[in-house]
Amino acid sequence: MIRFGHIIIATAVVVNLCAVVSGRHGLPARENTAKIAAPQRFPPPEFESGYDLPPSPAAPHPRQSIYEYIDVAVLLAALILASYLVLKMRSRRAIFVLMVFSLVYFGFWRKGCVCPIGAIQNIVLSIFDRDYAVPITVSAFFLLPLIFTLFFGRVFCSAVCPLGAIQDLVLLRPVSVPDWLASGLRVFAYLYLGLAVLFAATGSAFLICRYDPFVSFFRLSGNLNILIIGACFLVVGLFIGRPYCRFFCPYGVILRQLSRLSRWRVTITPDECIGCRLCEDACPFGAIRKPADEWSATEYVRGKKTLALLILLLPVLILFCGWAGARFKNVTSRMHSTVRLAERIYLEEAGEVEGTTDASLAFRATGREVKDLYEEASGVRGQFAIGGWLLGGFMGLVIGVKLTAVSVWRQRTDYEADRAGCLACGRCFKHCPRERLRLSKKDKAIS
Amino acid sequence: MKSPDNNTSGDVQAVSAWHRSAVATALVGAVFSVIVLALIVGNYIRGRVHETRWEKKLENLRIEISNQPDDEQALLEEIRRLDLEFRRAMFRVLDFSRTGSYLLLASLSVFVIGIKWAGTFKEKMPAPQPQQGAASEQIRQAMLARWSVAAALGLAGAVMLFLAIGPRIDFRATDAAADSYPTPEKISRNWHRFRGPEGAGISADVNMPESWDGKSGKGILWKTKVPVAGHNSPVVWGDRLFLSGGDPNRLNVFCFDALSGELLWTGDVKRAPLKPNEEPVEVMEDTGWAAPTVTTDGKRVFAIFVTGDLACFDFSGRSFWSKNLGTPDNVYGYASSLEMYRNLLLIQYDQGDTESEKSKLIALDGFSGRVVWQAKRPVANSWSTPIVARTDSGPQIITAADPWVIAYEPNSGAEIWRAECLAGDVAPTPIYANGLTFVIEPYSKTVAIRTDGKGDVTKTHIAWSLDEPAPDICSPIGNGEFVFILNSDGLALCFKAADGEKLWEEDIGEGRDSFLASPSLVGDKLYLLTEKGIMIIAEVLPKYNELARCELGEECCASPAFVDGRIYIRGVENLYCIGKEETTQEP
Ligand code: SF4
Ligand code: SF4
Repeated sequence: MIRFGHIIIATAVVVNLCAVVSGRHGLPARENTAKIAAPQRFPPPEFESGYDLPPSPAAPHPRQSIYEYIDVAVLLAALILASYLVLKMRSRRAIFVLMVFSLVYFGFWRKGCVCPIGAIQNIVLSIFDRDYAVPITVSAFFLLPLIFTLFFGRVFCSAVCPLGAIQDLVLLRPVSVPDWLASGLRVFAYLYLGLAVLFAATGSAFLICRYDPFVSFFRLSGNLNILIIGACFLVVGLFIGRPYCRFFCPYGVILRQLSRLSRWRVTITPDECIGCRLCEDACPFGAIRKPADEWSATEYVRGKKTLALLILLLPVLILFCGWAGARFKNVTSRMHSTVRLAERIYLEEAGEVEGTTDASLAFRATGREVKDLYEEASGVRGQFAIGGWLLGGFMGLVIGVKLTAVSVWRQRTDYEADRAGCLACGRCFKHCPRERLRLSKKDKAIS
Repeated sequence: MKSPDNNTSGDVQAVSAWHRSAVATALVGAVFSVIVLALIVGNYIRGRVHETRWEKKLENLRIEISNQPDDEQALLEEIRRLDLEFRRAMFRVLDFSRTGSYLLLASLSVFVIGIKWAGTFKEKMPAPQPQQGAASEQIRQAMLARWSVAAALGLAGAVMLFLAIGPRIDFRATDAAADSYPTPEKISRNWHRFRGPEGAGISADVNMPESWDGKSGKGILWKTKVPVAGHNSPVVWGDRLFLSGGDPNRLNVFCFDALSGELLWTGDVKRAPLKPNEEPVEVMEDTGWAAPTVTTDGKRVFAIFVTGDLACFDFSGRSFWSKNLGTPDNVYGYASSLEMYRNLLLIQYDQGDTESEKSKLIALDGFSGRVVWQAKRPVANSWSTPIVARTDSGPQIITAADPWVIAYEPNSGAEIWRAECLAGDVAPTPIYANGLTFVIEPYSKTVAIRTDGKGDVTKTHIAWSLDEPAPDICSPIGNGEFVFILNSDGLALCFKAADGEKLWEEDIGEGRDSFLASPSLVGDKLYLLTEKGIMIIAEVLPKYNELARCELGEECCASPAFVDGRIYIRGVENLYCIGKEETTQEP
């Protein structure tokens, strides 16, 4: 039988293939992004010194591309292993060891690049910009975790993602975040995803890469502000389990939805839930769902009315947020370098700012008409107006669906790992007496 | 190691020893991490302080280079030394921080291992609390969740609103969509430089006054005293008129209301302090402190003075930037006027003799005053003003000096062609018409050069060269059909533009009039301003025919400006606006 999830994966694969073949130049994404994003720490001197600067390499070193294939192989192996450890072996210790390996390999060794989270942007940009090609390895990085999630739940988050791993490692004194608060905070992850897609589609910026809070740790150097943001996440992460994963990760948003459809997934108990409640507080990520009592008749009727109201509200929310998103085009479009430059030039021309910036000076040195720049910036703003409608509409949909989802009564008799929120860390396994029984039986069988 | 799972009472002591070791490990890791972190932060601050200081020094040196081009080499050496010093220091800082990062990573790993290990001895046993009212709790959670989702949306909206605070910039608004530099059409409707568009001295408006009298005030729309003297000519853009003036105590730019003559603002130009061992500039009375005429791009006005001080003001009088190009080595004092091409301010900065290699053509970005390009010129000091000619093969900056007439590509400053044909103290400004540029060697020669050449065109593109008396100050005028030249003593000659055939020669001065202002052309009539302030209006073809003489009643040496039915004349003391009464407009 064809499942809905399979359709999604098939669509994702097709989109990826289109993205790969649509690019005209075969520059690897990493090189492209490096060219866009990497300012030189020491620009060449501004005077003739008689010294010839060695030419910058135009093509990546062959070793580098081999590494990319090795990375894909390691990713695949890690995902297979993680699936086995989570679903079959059910061993937190083994998951932990794999997590440390992933942190060292994908994080510190490969410096957090390529990562599936950032790959979202490569894929989006390649769809909107025909001159931008996504290397097959980046597509693989984007797709493999999605496919595995669809079959085995969030095994990528459990032990393969270096960002998840570093947060998991520092979790020392877990404090639970109330479910209602977590629901609200998760909205930011959707917003982050929407903005990242908007900025990538308009060729403005790779937001996720720019504000990756942990990459500075992996590279042991980086922008001070990002280091501070990363340090804040880690300090908060001492008490609140994986704050970035749960409330900000844009890839996590996609994984959450796919995980709902997964064929196999984490279960707290290996066989049956006996309702002992021993696992109730086991999850530091608030991903254990308790059995739900039935509502009284009055509460049920009231709940139904609320639900009806919220369903009616959904189109209003979509339209309102879409309209608001388009209205904010002046703010969002500032992420685009052309608009930023045009605004700077405008303020300089109007005498509202003093002096010049390197960018405005460089622009003026070209002798290009300011009017042309304004024209171009207006065009970009137009794109952001459309993007704002889409982003706003998407956020309206998310909010509306969330409001509806939290208001629905769901029948549940057992303690269960939440389909979307469970990060498959394996911490809850040993809290279950049935699991202990299984393990002791296994030990006995071995001895 | 014992795991807490198989912990028995007999092992308690051993376990607590392990626990202590784990805690001690975590503690050592933590203390070491804190020390390393402190060192890294200290190192970072040191690096930043160093970088800020370096950037400041470098910026100062950069400014000095543009202000003191004479010391360029020494300043570049200083920048090189600083650069090397900074790079060394920064690499030391980077090395330190890299080592520190590895140490910090290692010590943090020890800390995490220690603390996780210690945690295994203190595993909390699950202790579920008594549970009641699951349904009501679910309803309460649902309600709170709805509020929290709404609050998140509200917060996101508030952040966006906060980011939206500030000026709303509409790129499509009319003033924003205005051209950043004036179009040729706009230029042709104004008088933006010495002798107006292209330095041709030709009025776009043919309906100009033909009679006035300064004594009775007839035809004089207004008369305003200019606060500080200067030999430069008025420049008009829209309803603004600009002049400059200077004396040993001040250098000024003046903005007048062109409709009423009211002085709107006076811009003070700061004089650059003298460098050690530098001789103060000696200014000849004939040249004065402010001989070069200002120029404007319709938004800003630029002025240069005999001292090499250059300044930019916007139309409201706000000083935009100023700089000093170094005291010019010029025998009579610097007098070349400024020209604009798009956003570029063009300065013909000719100095010394042909051997001294001091002369250059400088293009500055008008907005920032930064040098966009500069071209060294193998010429001696000159007093001529460059023109931007719209030739068939594109715009050319044409310059005249001893011995080369050189044309440059305006965007890059690349030389297009050069012709060796002039000598002496070249002051007249070249003019361009119908594929020919006309230049003058003082007292002796008028030369026409075809502008479609490349490289040295001395032997190939000189269309004609006439050894006839030629002016030392006044620039020529022509419309493609004829070229008219006017010597200071009043001897006027007219040639056919195409082949240099002399059409007529006339002594206009007749021993009583002399000329410093360059001739102007309104339709087919010449407007010739004598030193005594008499405007002679005359037909030029087929032969010289004087039509009128209009007295101003004040001596004049600046060339007049012709805009929109009005003539603006700068006398030695006053500024005059002459117009037909019906063109008089209320300010
Ligand atoms: S939620 Fe995002 S950051 Fe966290 S483990 Fe999953 S993919 Fe990585
Ligand atoms: S495996 Fe258990 S403890 Fe870990 S996230 Fe899922 S429910 Fe929570």
